[in-house]
Amino acid sequence: MKSLERLTLAHLWTAFIAFAVACVFGLWQMLARSPIPTPGFTPSNYFISVTAHGAAMAYVLTTFFIMGFGYFTAETALQRPLPGKRIAWAAFGVGLLGVVMAVVPVLLGRASVLYTFYPPLTGSAWFYIGLVLVVASSWVWCAIMIVAMRQWKRANPGRPVPLAMYATVANAILWLWTTVGVTVELVFQVIPAALGLVDTVDVGLSRTLFSWTLHAIVYFWLFPAYIAFYTMAPEAAGGRLYSDTMGRLSFILFVLYSLPVGMHHLFMDPEHSTGFKFVQMTLTVLVTVPTLLTIFTISASMEFAGRLRGGKGLFGWIGALPWERPMVLATGLAFFMLWFGGGGGLINMSYGMNAMVHNTSWVTAHFHLIFGGTVVIMYFAIAYAIWPQLTGREAPSLRAQRIQLWLWAIGMMVMTLPWHYLGLQGQWRRVAQFDYANPIIAAWGSWVVVSVAGGAMLLASALLFIWNLAAFHRARTPVQAPFRFALAIHPPERVPASLNGFGLWNALVAVLMLVAYGYPIAQFFIHDRPVAVVHRVDGAQP
Amino acid sequence: MAARTEHEVLATELRWTIAVVASVALISLAILWAGLVHFINPPSNLETIDPTKVHLSPEFTEANLGTRVDEGGRVTTRIVTAQFAFIPPCVVVPADEPVTLRLVSPDVIHGVLVTGTNVNTMVVPGYVSQVHTVFQKTGDLLMPCHEYCGIGHSQMWSTVRVVPKAEFKPGPDGRALCEKP
Amino acid sequence: MSEDVFREIDRPWRLWASAIVVGVLAFGCLSGFVILPVIQGYQAGIDPYTAICRSLGILPGSPAARQPVSTAPAAPVSQVSWGPSLIARLNKPDAARGQEIAASVCAACHGEKGLTADPAQFPNMAGQSAFAIYKQLHDYKSGARANEIMQPVVADLTDEQMADVAAHFAALQQARWEQTWVRAASPQVETIVRTGDSARGLPACESCHNPRSGGPIETPVLFAQTKEYLALQMQAFKSGSRKNDLYRRMRSISEKLTDSEIDQLAQYYFEQR
Repeated sequence: MKSLERLTLAHLWTAFIAFAVACVFGLWQMLARSPIPTPGFTPSNYFISVTAHGAAMAYVLTTFFIMGFGYFTAETALQRPLPGKRIAWAAFGVGLLGVVMAVVPVLLGRASVLYTFYPPLTGSAWFYIGLVLVVASSWVWCAIMIVAMRQWKRANPGRPVPLAMYATVANAILWLWTTVGVTVELVFQVIPAALGLVDTVDVGLSRTLFSWTLHAIVYFWLFPAYIAFYTMAPEAAGGRLYSDTMGRLSFILFVLYSLPVGMHHLFMDPEHSTGFKFVQMTLTVLVTVPTLLTIFTISASMEFAGRLRGGKGLFGWIGALPWERPMVLATGLAFFMLWFGGGGGLINMSYGMNAMVHNTSWVTAHFHLIFGGTVVIMYFAIAYAIWPQLTGREAPSLRAQRIQLWLWAIGMMVMTLPWHYLGLQGQWRRVAQFDYANPIIAAWGSWVVVSVAGGAMLLASALLFIWNLAAFHRARTPVQAPFRFALAIHPPERVPASLNGFGLWNALVAVLMLVAYGYPIAQFFIHDRPVAVVHRVDGAQP
Repeated sequence: MAARTEHEVLATELRWTIAVVASVALISLAILWAGLVHFINPPSNLETIDPTKVHLSPEFTEANLGTRVDEGGRVTTRIVTAQFAFIPPCVVVPADEPVTLRLVSPDVIHGVLVTGTNVNTMVVPGYVSQVHTVFQKTGDLLMPCHEYCGIGHSQMWSTVRVVPKAEFKPGPDGRALCEKP
Repeated sequence: MSEDVFREIDRPWRLWASAIVVGVLAFGCLSGFVILPVIQGYQAGIDPYTAICRSLGILPGSPAARQPVSTAPAAPVSQVSWGPSLIARLNKPDAARGQEIAASVCAACHGEKGLTADPAQFPNMAGQSAFAIYKQLHDYKSGARANEIMQPVVADLTDEQMADVAAHFAALQQARWEQTWVRAASPQVETIVRTGDSARGLPACESCHNPRSGGPIETPVLFAQTKEYLALQMQAFKSGSRKNDLYRRMRSISEKLTDSEIDQLAQYYFEQR
C-alpha cells in the first residue's frame, strides 16, 4: 500500500501548494480593486495575477486533487491494488510539466488572457500547451479509473460496485465528455493562432466550444465534495448512509445534465438563437435535482446518526451530532454555503434574471461561494480524513482543523455577501481598479473593504490548512483505525445494471449533446461566419 | 426518518423526489410564462458583420454612431466598443420609450451593462449585438465594458444619458447627441 | 446473484430514464422553437415562419422585435482593413523590393537605416510596426491622412509595395522593443503610461503601445521616436486636424491630455531606447 500513499500525496500536495499560492494572488487582487492603496499595482500586474489565480484554482488545485483522491478511492473502496501505478506516475509527471510550462509565461506577463482565454486575445503557446498536458494527464487518470472498476466487476460478478468508486468513475466519464470542448478549442483554434500558423479565429465557435466545457467542469470539481457527503460524512457522524440508490442516481444525474447546459454561460451572447438558449435553460433547471436529492439524503443520514447518538425531537438530532469532528463540521458548513450559492445559481440560470447579474460581481460571488465555499471546504475535510491513512499518523490537533474550517466558512461569507450586493448594484467584473471619485462607484467603497477583510480571513485559513497538513508529517501518534468509506443503512444486494455501469447514460448524454449543441456548433461550418484578427499579448505581431 | 427496510427508505426518497420535480417544473413554467407575457428574451441576434470592416460599413461608420430616430419614430442607438473605448463616449436616450441598442466590436470580445438597468450583452467580434429596452430612470448611467478585453479594460466605460421624453430633442436628421459629457 | 439479474431488473430503468430525458428535451424544444417565438412574433407583427427561423438561429434577429434599418451613407476615416491576405503579405513580404523602395523613395528623409535625417520634421522608422507603417502609407494615399510631402511620395505605390516597404523598416533594429521597463521621470507620467486614469477614462499608454499588450493591430511603437513628432501628432489628434485613427482612439485620448502632459509623454517615449 505504501506506493499508493506516495502517489496520492504527490498529487494532493501539488494541488494544495498551488491553492495556497493562488490565495495570496487573490487577496492582492481584492486590494487592487478596493480604495486601499496596493503595493506593486499596475494593470498588467493585475491581469497576470488574475490569470495565475484562476488557472491555479480551476486547473491545478482541482485536477490534481481529483486525480489523487481518485487513486486513493480506487484502491481503498475496491480493496485491491490500483492498476497501472507506473502509468499514473508518468501521467503525474506530464501534468506537472504542463503546470510549469503554463506558469512561467503567465508570470512573465506573456499569457495575460485569464484562465478562460478570450480569443482573439492570444498569449504564449506554452501556456495553452501546458494546460493541454494537464488535461492529457487527467485523461490517463480517467482510463485508470475505468479499468480499475472493470477489473473489480470481473472479479466480483453480481456485486454492486461500491458507491465511492461508482461516483469516481462517473466523474471520470463526465470529465472525458467535458474536456472535448476546451481541448478542441485549444488544439484547433487557439494554439495554431498562438504559434502564428493562422492570423484569424472564429470567436463564436471558440466561445461555444468553451461553453461546452465551462459548466460541466464545475461539476467535475464538485464530485469529490459529493463523494464525501455520501461516503465519508455519514461514517464520521457515527451513522450510515440513508440510501445508496439515491447516491447513484444523483451522480448519474450530474453526468447527464451538467453537459448540455453550458450555453447558459452564453445567455448574453449574440451568436446563439433564443430557441437553443431556452432548451439549454430548461436542462439547466434539472441540474438542481441531484443537489436537492443529495441535501435530503445526507440530511436524513445525519438525522439517523444523530438519533443513534441519543438526539430526540424534531431538531434534537442536530445538536447530538459530533460537530467536533472536522468532516461533520465541514459538511454542515458546506450545506450552509450551498443554500446561499444554490439560491444565487437559480437566479443566474434564468436568462431574464441573468441580464441583471451577468458579468457583475454577483457571478464572481456565486462561483466563489459554490466552488470556494462548498467544494473546497470539502477538499479540506477529505484531506483531514485521509491524511492519517496517507502518513500513518494521527492529527496532533483537531482543534486547529476546526478553527481552519470555521475561518474559511466565515471568510467566504464575509467576502461573497458584499460581492453579491455589489453585483446587484452593477459592479462589473475583471477590472483592475475602480475610480472611487465617481459618485456611483464611491458608494461601493465600504462594501469592497468589508470583502477584503473576508479575503484576508481566507488567506489566513489557507495558510493554517497547509500548516495542519504539514503537522501530520511531523506527528508521532500512529494511526488508530484504518480509513473506510460509509456503508448504507441497507447496503444494496442487487442493483439494476444501469446503476452499476454507464452504458445507458453515455448514450443519453450523446442524445442530449446532439440536440443541445449539434446545430449551435454546426452553424459555424454551415454558414460563413466572419472571423476576427488575432491580438497577441506575448509580443509577436500578427 | 423511516428506515426499517430498504423499501421504506426508497418510498421516503420517492416522496421527496416528487416534491423536487414539482418545484423544478414550476420554475420552468414560470420562465416560460415570463417569456410569453413579458417578452423576456436573451439578446440573441445572429446578425453578422466583418470585424475588420466595421469602420467601412455605412451603419457603423464613425459619423453615424450614437442615437438616431428613424422615420417611423423608432429610437436606435449605435455604439462601437473597441479597445479601450466606447464610440461615442456618451449617448443620449429618451426615458419611457422603446430603445434598441446595437453594438459592434471591431477587435476583441467586449461586454456591456448599464448600471441600474437590465441592459446587458456580450459584444463578440463578427456579430451585431442587439438589446431592446425601455429606460425608466433618468440621469447619467454608467456603461462599462464588463469583459476582459486587454490591459486597458478597466478604463473602458461610457455614459448613457437618459433624459425625460419631453427633453429628448433629435435634430432634423433624426440624430441626438450628448451635450458635453 | 449474477449479472443477469442486474439486467433483468434494469428494463424499467432503461425505459423510464430514456422516456424522461427525451420528454424534457421535447418540452424544451417545443417551448423554445415553437410556442415562444410564434406567440412573441405574433405580438411584434412577425409571421410565424420567420419567428421560428429566428428562434432556431437560421435567420438573424429576435423573434420578439422587428429589425431596425440604417440608410445613412458610409464615411470611413480610413480605408485600411486588416484582411487575411494583407496580414499574410506583411508577415511574408518581398524583402528585396521593400529595401529597394526604401532606398530610392524613403531614405532621403527617414534615413537609410530608418533613423531620421531631421528629428524636427521626420519620424524614425526603424523598428516601427509594419502594420502601423502600412496603415499610414495607405491613409496618405487615400487622403485619410493629409500631408503635403507624403501624399505625392506614396501616390504611385501599390498595396503590395507599401506592405513590402513597411515590413522592411519593421525588420530594422527590432531589439529595442524589448527595453520597455525604464522608470518615467514624474509620477504623473508614470501613471498615464502604466496605470491609466480611470476618472478621465484614460487607458494606460502601455495597454496598446506596449508591443506585448494585444492592443489594436495598427498601434505604432513609440520607443525612441522623436519627441517633436510625438508631440506634434498628439496635438494634431487633440485639435482634430488629424483624424485617421480608427474609432477615435487617439483623438479621444489626446483631447483628455493637457499640453504639459503631451510634452512630458513625448519626452518620456523619446528617452526609452
